[in-house]
Amino acid sequence: MDLRVGIIGCGNIFNLAHRKALKGIEGVKVIGCMDIDEARAKEGAREFRTKAFTNLDEFLDLDLDVVEVLTPTYTHSELTIAALKAGKHVIVEKPIALTVEEGKKMIQTAEKEGLHLFVGHVRRFDLRWIQMKEVIKKRNILPMHIRKAEVQNLPFPKDYWYWDEDRSGGVAVDLGVHVTDFLRWFFEAEPVSVYAVGKAIKEEARANETFDHFTMIVEFEGGRTGIAEVSWAYPYPSRYGVFYHHVDIIGKNGRIRYTPLDTPVVGVAKANFEMPRFSPLLSTFPDAFERELRHFFNCIKGREEPIVTAEDALIALKITEKAKESARTGEVIEI
Amino acid sequence: MKKLNFGVISYAHPHALRFASVIAGGKRTKLVAISGDGSNSDVARAEAKKYGAKFYTNYEGLLRDENIDAVYIAVETYRHREIAVRAAEEGKHILLEKPIALNLKDADEIIKRAKRAGIKLMLPFNPRFTEPLKKAKELLENGEIGVLEYINAISENVKPPIFLQGLDMSWFLDKKKSGGGGFMDTAPHGIDSLLWLTGDTPRKVYADIGSKIYGFPVDDIGTAVLEFRGGVLAVLTAGWGNPKGYSYSIEMKYYLVGREGFLDVRTAYPDFTVYQDRAEKIYWDRPDVRNIVETFTQAVQKDKSVPITGEVAKENLKITLAAYESSRERKVVRL
Repeated sequence: MDLRVGIIGCGNIFNLAHRKALKGIEGVKVIGCMDIDEARAKEGAREFRTKAFTNLDEFLDLDLDVVEVLTPTYTHSELTIAALKAGKHVIVEKPIALTVEEGKKMIQTAEKEGLHLFVGHVRRFDLRWIQMKEVIKKRNILPMHIRKAEVQNLPFPKDYWYWDEDRSGGVAVDLGVHVTDFLRWFFEAEPVSVYAVGKAIKEEARANETFDHFTMIVEFEGGRTGIAEVSWAYPYPSRYGVFYHHVDIIGKNGRIRYTPLDTPVVGVAKANFEMPRFSPLLSTFPDAFERELRHFFNCIKGREEPIVTAEDALIALKITEKAKESARTGEVIEI
Repeated sequence: MKKLNFGVISYAHPHALRFASVIAGGKRTKLVAISGDGSNSDVARAEAKKYGAKFYTNYEGLLRDENIDAVYIAVETYRHREIAVRAAEEGKHILLEKPIALNLKDADEIIKRAKRAGIKLMLPFNPRFTEPLKKAKELLENGEIGVLEYINAISENVKPPIFLQGLDMSWFLDKKKSGGGGFMDTAPHGIDSLLWLTGDTPRKVYADIGSKIYGFPVDDIGTAVLEFRGGVLAVLTAGWGNPKGYSYSIEMKYYLVGREGFLDVRTAYPDFTVYQDRAEKIYWDRPDVRNIVETFTQAVQKDKSVPITGEVAKENLKITLAAYESSRERKVVRL
């Protein structure tokens, strides 16, 4: 029998990734689409030939197996807990929540209700990183020093929720959790301490008194060092895409480097030349979202064991929360 | 104009090979003597023969040679003070390998004695003499990327072979002689670039430096976060992180982020690549070394100031030592 799926939040990440991914997955059926913006709810519902909702209670009255929470970060906790209490499994976009405290409550609620809670740490489903992790294992690279940069040209105006730290957590959290989770995943070790510094480079960041460029030096067990650099401030021309990754892994038995230049791109040569330097896509390739959702659905059906849990997501968030404390106080913070 | 007569003191540091070759082949320089202090005295002797230069077993004889105007000192770091002070006493102009000394007290002594003797003292930090970095500095000064906000710098070298081109380099792994391992060896280059590009000095340093890769008795890699007084934030990774199969033996890179633009600077040296069992970059020119020798020679002959003074090198050492202190104490060090 098909899993009955409901969507809360038919905005950016729904339109950029989940909508298409859901259509590619067998054995699931989207039953309802909710958004506080009626037009967006209707647009989402139309895609799946289903009903649109603007009221949460009415939406949760539906007979659903799974709810996908694809809303701005500050609403994750409330919506997830409401869905869990209504007896639905939940897949929530990353970051798990705005704060660790909220994230803990979500996990506790899921445990109490005996339901699954998954967090969309999509990097874990990206073939680049999966393959890299396998090579590290097979060739016994033993990583000791990893730098990962994730850089985005955030194409939103300054009153958009991303720029408001009270709603998104800022770049330190929004992109930060991707990288802190990546480091933990690759090191297979737990974080010990963090030192972080931030900058407000673009006008949008300064107006919101938030950072748009954030660097964390995370010490992991066994003297391993992770350097996480996340930024919304690199002034890339957005017509060449919005995202850029850089990975440099130095281990006892070798080194692995990845730059966008290693990814196939279309070179453009014109009188007014600008080098396209990264794949003009999302933070990750669309198939990773499909792989992620298929895995979560299979876990719910009891066919697979989770490869990334809500607890993993909580630790990723915790590192960024401590990093923000470090940036605020200027001191090294124990994790 | 008469050529500047050079003596090369010691082949302990492998740069002696390159400097000797450039000095010997220079339009305004002549290599007249070599001394065999410290490690690799046999190589020093052979090189003297090759260049038709006079060989002295130790620096005393060379410094008393009245035919010599200037010396390039490449002895083990712990002997910098002893030999530089003697060279100053003999009125020789000094091009002194980096780091300037093991500690700030020795650096002060060298600076004081050079001043008293009225001779030129210069330190050879290579990157700022490379074309890409010179161009980057020019672009910065022309305001091409707006206010400079962030620099990510990489200053890395290969695992030091204990024998390189016939040179015994084991003293690099002896902290008493070298002052530190991979970070001490390569970070000063990156730090010099940062000081030069920003025209500023850092007020805070946090670093994580350790023996992480090879199990050496000295550190092999480190990352420092430097917060400059004027607001620029810099992250520098330096060490011996490049494994044998890595296509770059020396890698110097700078990502410079400004409010209106971004510079991606890859320096090191002009190269081509040979692919056999592994990829190898062959550096077919070293314009940086040529530039250093020419600049120093001009300063001596025209009595001009040198671009990298003892004071600049001392500031550099101060920052490097602060990074070690930060890593050791696991706290932020304020300068």
